[in-house]
Amino acid sequence: MGGLDVHMRGVTCGHGRVVAVDGVDLEVAAGERVALTGTNGSGKSTLLRAVLGLHRQTAGTVLVGGRGTASAADRVWRRRACAWVPQKPAAGRFPLLAGELLDSGGAPVQAAEAARALGVGALRRQPLGTLSGGQLQRMYLARAIGCVAAGAGVLLADEPTAALDFAGQEEAAEALMALPVTLVVVTHDRALAERCDRVLDMAAGRLREVAR
Amino acid sequence: MTVLATADLGLMLQLVPVQRAGFALLLASVGLPIVGVVIVGLDIMPVRFAMMHVALLGIAVGLLTGLDPMLCALVACALAGAGVAPLARTPAGLSGAMGLLMSMAIAAALLVLSVSGVNASGAFALLWGSILSVGSADIVVVGVLAVVVPALFWWRRRDLALLLYDRELAQCSGVRVGPLTVVLLVLVAVAVAGAIKLTGALLVDALTLLPALAARRLGKRLTTIALWAVAIGVAVNVTGFLIALWLDWPPGPVLVLTAGAVVLAVHLIPERSITSCPPPASAAASPSSH
Repeated sequence: MGGLDVHMRGVTCGHGRVVAVDGVDLEVAAGERVALTGTNGSGKSTLLRAVLGLHRQTAGTVLVGGRGTASAADRVWRRRACAWVPQKPAAGRFPLLAGELLDSGGAPVQAAEAARALGVGALRRQPLGTLSGGQLQRMYLARAIGCVAAGAGVLLADEPTAALDFAGQEEAAEALMALPVTLVVVTHDRALAERCDRVLDMAAGRLREVAR
Repeated sequence: MTVLATADLGLMLQLVPVQRAGFALLLASVGLPIVGVVIVGLDIMPVRFAMMHVALLGIAVGLLTGLDPMLCALVACALAGAGVAPLARTPAGLSGAMGLLMSMAIAAALLVLSVSGVNASGAFALLWGSILSVGSADIVVVGVLAVVVPALFWWRRRDLALLLYDRELAQCSGVRVGPLTVVLLVLVAVAVAGAIKLTGALLVDALTLLPALAARRLGKRLTTIALWAVAIGVAVNVTGFLIALWLDWPPGPVLVLTAGAVVLAVHLIPERSITSCPPPASAAASPSSH
């Protein structure tokens, strides 16, 4: 089983004066699958964004594969090492074709195959703004699978099945579990959480392990 | 009934200043509409207005020091463009700062003009442009832009498409978003300053923004939008310039009105006949119209 380990120590993130993530310590072994659950606004998405280095107001230590984000080169490496499925991927400000999104993951052929497997392969020539929420989510998932093929060792998936129908949720869960990476998935989908090795619950910015 | 005074177009086109003006406009309409696509894509229209004021400050400094006013305007705009780049992380941060930059630049320009006792009409003439007095230096500036802008665009088109779609997606796809944003803002600033002589600072939109606004509706992806923008830019500027010559009207306003008419006409085309395949029902409120 491949993948990179993730180490977090005292991670605290703020939105202005509001503390969204409050002193989180977390060890995820290479290849482990962890589900993050919890109410809306409890800081799950912010924590994932902090791992990617996208949340500016972050304190504490985050190491992926033992490597931090001190230099620009480290940050570039981190974003290549961590594939990301963003929450409710909104259509952007400017047109982008679905095919361009798939190619951006670094492994166009594998991403295109994943898109076909997820039933959105025929939409390559469509601008993302014309796709439905579920189609867009499948596209981002296919892109993430491409990122893994291009060498990412961690997949950070933020509610990757939220916009999908029941059959789609099942397909997406299969696709996620089949990947040879460390998986950290934010989800409200019980079936998906149960397929993970560990379930962690987040409340008011703090993390606790759920006994199973 | 009023009869419009029309000139003999054939005779006019044999005049060297007219030929130079036409050539400069043609060059400008290759590079500047692509800059317009970037302005529309990054949603940084306030930057373009702020740069207009910064250019005026540069011109004022040029008139005071005896240096070439256009060169001073270019340098002032390039510095301001690079200086505001750190604010471009959020469009909101940028528009507030642009308001401040705009007010301070125009106030400083007025102060410089007043303190130095320079005849301000020279500076303000540049607000309206003077296309028939285009010199070799101006042609060099738009010529360089006509080569550099499309070349940079083509070289970095994939990064640019991702950045214009979503800044964070671009970051996660390995695009070096910070340096790319600096380059883009400097290009926007230099292009605005470079086009001032042609249409005037107030009407520089004819060359940048308006072709891009029309193209935004016609293309489905960044590269086709940029091609449409250049095609519309060339067509609008040639037509507008000929109309202005023929009717002996000032070229700047005629160019803007011609470009504006094209934007309106393009927006009157029903969207269904533009997109080749119908969007799904969930995309009825398509974001493409704004």
